[in-house]
Amino acid sequence: MNLPQEVLTEETRQIVSRLLRDNQVVGVIGLRTEHNHTGPHLFTSADDLKELTLEPRYPLATICQAILSSLSQGKLGVIVRGCDERALIEMAKLTNIEMERLVLIGLSCSEELARQCRCRRPYPSHIDVGEIVEGVSPLEDTQVRRLLEQNVEERLAFWQQEFARCIKCYGCRNICPVCICTECVLKEECWVERGQIPPELQFHLIRAYHIADKCVGCGACVAACPMEIPMTTFYTLVQEKLRELFDYEPGLDTKQKSPITTTLEETPLREL
Amino acid sequence: MAGLVTAFGSGAMTNSVPEIEEADCILVTGSNTSENHPLIGARILRAQRKGAKLVVVDPRHIHLAQFADIYARSRPGTDVAWVNGLMHIILTEGWEDREFIAARTDGFERLKEKVAEYSPERVEAITGIKQGQLREIARLYAGAERASIVYAMGITQHTTGTDNVLSLANLAMLTGNVGKRGTGVNPLRGQNNVQGACDVGGLPNVFPGYQQVTDPKVREKFEQAWEIKPEFKGLPQEPGLTLVEMMNACAEGTLKSMFILAENPVLSDPDVNHVREALQNLKFLVVQDIFLTETAELADVVLPGSSFAERDGTVTSTDRSVQRMRKAVEPPGGALPDWEIICQVAKRCGGNGFEYDSPEEVFAEMAHLTPIYGGINYSRLENEWLRWPCSSPEDLGTEFLHHDQFAKGRGLFTAVEYREPVELPDEQYPFMLTTGRQIFHYHTGTMTRRSPSLAREVEQGFIELSPYDALQLGVQDGEKVTVASRRGVIEIKVKVTSTVSRGLVFIPFHFAESAANVLTHRALDPVAKIPEFKVCAVSVSRGPQPDVRCD
Amino acid sequence: MNYKTVLTVCPYCGCGCGMYLPVLDGQLGQPIPDKTHPLSEGRLCIKGWAASEHVVSPDRLTQPLVRTGDDLKQATWDEALDLVASRLMTLRDRHGPDSLAFLCSAKCTNEENYLLQKFARTTVGTNNVDHCARL
Repeated sequence: MNLPQEVLTEETRQIVSRLLRDNQVVGVIGLRTEHNHTGPHLFTSADDLKELTLEPRYPLATICQAILSSLSQGKLGVIVRGCDERALIEMAKLTNIEMERLVLIGLSCSEELARQCRCRRPYPSHIDVGEIVEGVSPLEDTQVRRLLEQNVEERLAFWQQEFARCIKCYGCRNICPVCICTECVLKEECWVERGQIPPELQFHLIRAYHIADKCVGCGACVAACPMEIPMTTFYTLVQEKLRELFDYEPGLDTKQKSPITTTLEETPLREL
Repeated sequence: MAGLVTAFGSGAMTNSVPEIEEADCILVTGSNTSENHPLIGARILRAQRKGAKLVVVDPRHIHLAQFADIYARSRPGTDVAWVNGLMHIILTEGWEDREFIAARTDGFERLKEKVAEYSPERVEAITGIKQGQLREIARLYAGAERASIVYAMGITQHTTGTDNVLSLANLAMLTGNVGKRGTGVNPLRGQNNVQGACDVGGLPNVFPGYQQVTDPKVREKFEQAWEIKPEFKGLPQEPGLTLVEMMNACAEGTLKSMFILAENPVLSDPDVNHVREALQNLKFLVVQDIFLTETAELADVVLPGSSFAERDGTVTSTDRSVQRMRKAVEPPGGALPDWEIICQVAKRCGGNGFEYDSPEEVFAEMAHLTPIYGGINYSRLENEWLRWPCSSPEDLGTEFLHHDQFAKGRGLFTAVEYREPVELPDEQYPFMLTTGRQIFHYHTGTMTRRSPSLAREVEQGFIELSPYDALQLGVQDGEKVTVASRRGVIEIKVKVTSTVSRGLVFIPFHFAESAANVLTHRALDPVAKIPEFKVCAVSVSRGPQPDVRCD
Repeated sequence: MNYKTVLTVCPYCGCGCGMYLPVLDGQLGQPIPDKTHPLSEGRLCIKGWAASEHVVSPDRLTQPLVRTGDDLKQATWDEALDLVASRLMTLRDRHGPDSLAFLCSAKCTNEENYLLQKFARTTVGTNNVDHCARL
């Protein structure tokens, strides 16, 4: 069952209001509608809470990381959907982000949104607002299914055609919450030729490889792509292999290590 | 702009950007859209995925061309010929919209006579576009329920720029593709507020809102509103000089002083050696900018203004959308908001009516005097998306122009004859040079070359040379060549690419140390006064030359 | 700690893409594309993403400069503005209003362009006003 959006928004406002009133947090990262547009906002008082909104989705995890780095004392609240929480967990694994300094306000997605995103876990580990809805397998996506039925040449042709549209805005990388390298190899001449559009295929392959065991399926990359290249389809297929081979899913537990970084040291690769 | 004013009565983009998605056929010409208006380029490709046919006509095989249903490589400067050719085919086949022509336009008979002279055979000889391809373009464009034309400086920056635009307007009217959703003749404006700067009177012949300076009634209205001091004997009555004319007047000595607000003519104007000499000839040059540009270096006084992040105000994007800019941070050091600087200068010159508390107050005065902005104010912009014309508080703005009738009443066909570019290749200068921008940089590079992630992509200028010509000249990718025209000489790195065809070279004009505009010439379109940046003749030779003027 | 996001418009081409500028403790960050913008819908090109970079460039002009011989030297606002006003008015009085010309800017706001053309037309008395629309 889906609760009306207004009810969920009001519930969220009350939780945020309580956290601020009780000084449990310095501020809460969420979304605000102002000037008839909606974007990320740090709520620090009850004054602008009436402008708090729950949609659309923005990369709030990345913003949390930036703010935490300059927050000397106290905790930061953040309204998280399943993908936001998973992104924070992946960031915590890779960077110095301290999960204990965050107060998560868990928001479950609607069935509709879950279907739209083909999201396996459209809810965070703890739900404060909304009700748990059933996940959707990414394999239900028609494009994914079509690709799975194709042979290697057909798939390559498909991706070459898609990537030909790329205008190298780096939006997919910039918006990605788990793209955290400080020195990005995509900018290195030896990997990708500079100043060329579309960039060579390796631009996308390197990114796919870099986030293969980190992608939390938030879809921010596709949403930020001017050319609407279906990158999540690409990453989904890689993720599904990871599940199949190692029974591993990124973003669930900060203590869980990626099989790609651990296998060689600890356990031999399973026979493929 | 002059072309569209003649044909339709308004020079702006006829339709809005989101409507591009509703078109069934999109003709892109003289616009490297996915590089220079990337988000509009993206819309065009989205429209194509939704079923629209994409036709690209351009001398260069631009990024968008690889996706086009038809890509036709035209010779630079032959636009009138191929558009006349399209109309020739449409009329021969009877694909014209007779109802629209009869009900809404004048001048059809003369057009018909003129385009009759442009047989596909003749057009192929002039433009290089194959007859079969031209027929196919005509069929797609005329056959579409909604067809949209998108163009940019590749059409206007010619001595025949106005003629080119008139031709595209003819084509749209001939097929009834104006005044309805998803159609139109859509010039893409190159800078974030070039539309606005035109709208609010940043032109020599009009006051804000395209009200003619030569019209006594208009002058009287502004004289009253602006409280002109009696000793001034009213506002000036004759249109002033256009930019290139200003530079000529500087050189001739008739202009003594210039005040340049955030522009860099020393790199952006044609024949920049001449521009530099012209500006040096001034008795007093003031430049207001955020960086010490090549132009500011010549100034007597440089006034530090604000960047976009430090600005409050409005800008008008290419599809007439008026948007608020909001200040995020303070200007650095002693830099000030530009509106305050201008008011300070005006007041110290004895100017009346420069006491404002905020940009909002300036906007209110401007909107009051500018009918197309008359219904717009800051509080409406908080809640509404408004495109001009928006004349009253009840007016919701205008998504597409010329709905029931043209801004000027009836649309006007103009019979246009093809004319050659002013300077064509010859034995001494055998290559045709065309100039433009590329995606990683912007205009004179003042901002983008100081942005590390953009500068990293493309650090220096380059000349695009076809593989054939590279082989003939014996030069390789990355090698330096000397490029010369009748105006000057530059040294520049070669990029071998089939984006350009044999005999054609392209140089982006962003880079001061290998400035394309050292080579370009000052020949102007007689009506719009736009320089012919897109065609001039150059020579290309291996290695540096002893007389190279290169910083 | 202070954090805000400010809705504004990309400074580059005429598309007019929407972006939020994040400011953390006074420091401008990388733009966040506005997902609710009717034109750009949460997308930007490489220039839009890099729009904050030139703002914080060390090359920014922070003081008025006045020419002394071959050099441009720092000056106060009063010195610079008074010099501009007196030279412009002297040349105007000596050679007539049309000996002066003004270039507006496609990079500045409607308000700023309106003011500059108003200054040229009312105070100086010339229609020599243009900008780079043709370039």
